[in-house]
Amino acid sequence: MQTRSLTFVAAAGSALFVSAITAQSPASATHAFAAPVRLMAGKQFLGEKRLFPSPVFHDVNGDGHRDLVVGDLRGHLTVALRVPEGGALAFAAETKLQDVDGKDIDFHNW
Amino acid sequence: MSPQFVDFNHDGKLDIVAGTFDGSPHVAYGTDQGFKQPEQILDHKGERIVLNQFWNFDSKKWDSTKRSDAAGNTLPNGHCTSAIAFDWDQDGDLDLLLGDHDSGHLYRRVNEGTSTEPRFALVNVPVLADGKALHVAGTVTTPLLVDWDRDGLLDLVCGGMGDAYSEATGGGVYLYRNTGKLGAPTFAAAVTLIEPSGKGHVGGPLRPDSGLYMDVADVDTDGDLDLVVGGYSHWKPKPRELTAEEKAKVAALQAELAKVNAASQATMQTVTDAVKGLDEAAAATKRGELLAAKRPELSALGKQRQSLTEELDPLVSTPQRVSYVWVYTNTTVASAPAKGQ
Repeated sequence: MQTRSLTFVAAAGSALFVSAITAQSPASATHAFAAPVRLMAGKQFLGEKRLFPSPVFHDVNGDGHRDLVVGDLRGHLTVALRVPEGGALAFAAETKLQDVDGKDIDFHNW
Repeated sequence: MSPQFVDFNHDGKLDIVAGTFDGSPHVAYGTDQGFKQPEQILDHKGERIVLNQFWNFDSKKWDSTKRSDAAGNTLPNGHCTSAIAFDWDQDGDLDLLLGDHDSGHLYRRVNEGTSTEPRFALVNVPVLADGKALHVAGTVTTPLLVDWDRDGLLDLVCGGMGDAYSEATGGGVYLYRNTGKLGAPTFAAAVTLIEPSGKGHVGGPLRPDSGLYMDVADVDTDGDLDLVVGGYSHWKPKPRELTAEEKAKVAALQAELAKVNAASQATMQTVTDAVKGLDEAAAATKRGELLAAKRPELSALGKQRQSLTEELDPLVSTPQRVSYVWVYTNTTVASAPAKGQ
């Protein structure tokens, strides 16, 4: 089976994770998140004003860096390519993901 | 919809699987030249895979069916708006997990075929967590599989929709650890990764409050798993004391806005009145014609409304609702003791 999720596992190969075994509760032992930060794509906020933006990581251009693909309620997809020299969270402006014929990918909808 | 990049037809090229609001899972097959346009994933009888609610493309109406309910199913009706492929039983082909936007459950649709010749079953099997039908507070945005605790089994992460339109409780993100074994997943009770939002922020956007669609990766390569989360932020700008001049301006803008709204309503009323008494098909045709004719007028009114609202917003602290994508950086690894290392 090939899934995107497994790619993450490989990417997180050096993770030192602790689960429910310590004296702490499982919740506090497995995660603690810093206050969230909005991601940028180029000079705009990533996914801004999209209808229900759904981000997923995928190396779209095969450069070894995880890009972000953002879906939406309408069934359209955009790609924000990682800009590796800009740091872990630097992404270029979003472009629409297109099909083999250069048309926007359009997941059927109501 | 939430896309999943996965080799669905096992040809060595990644495809995109996604459920959409029409109620069914779809796949866009990858080729050497790029992706094809998406198509619906069908069951082995060639019928659409649905939970209950779906958009009927023939009648052009919302529809509902019980044909995919497992025998003895007692869960309320569901509406599939998210789907991921996952080899649940480790038999070499990809099964589907279907997220329910209406009542917040998760179902699997078993692939009884092979990796290259899928044969999807005709019924949905509820996914359990802690022995009960898995239920996501605020209903499901999308499920996701990731080995969160690094025990070799894929755990389940689900996003919560919450109230995306008003001030009621928003959505959270939940982890269901896989405590079963390869080929026979068993999910534990939910652990909250991101608390559902109580909203009510004053000032600016603080977090994704509703419609939380997430993905997981070690974004900062520090050895733990971070979250990226799309969603709507709801907030109210901080109110401030207005000068007399500003108060007068607010009153004038509000009066102007009321006029624009009244004009829009009056225009729509003429359409409603004009189709009264016609049968359904004739009414739809007539309504379409009239709306097309009135589009320039309605569009001009819409622009006026937008412009007035933009002037008013900074003065009157109108509630805001804007979608963004956020990163939640996991800070655990620095302080957590390593397990078995």
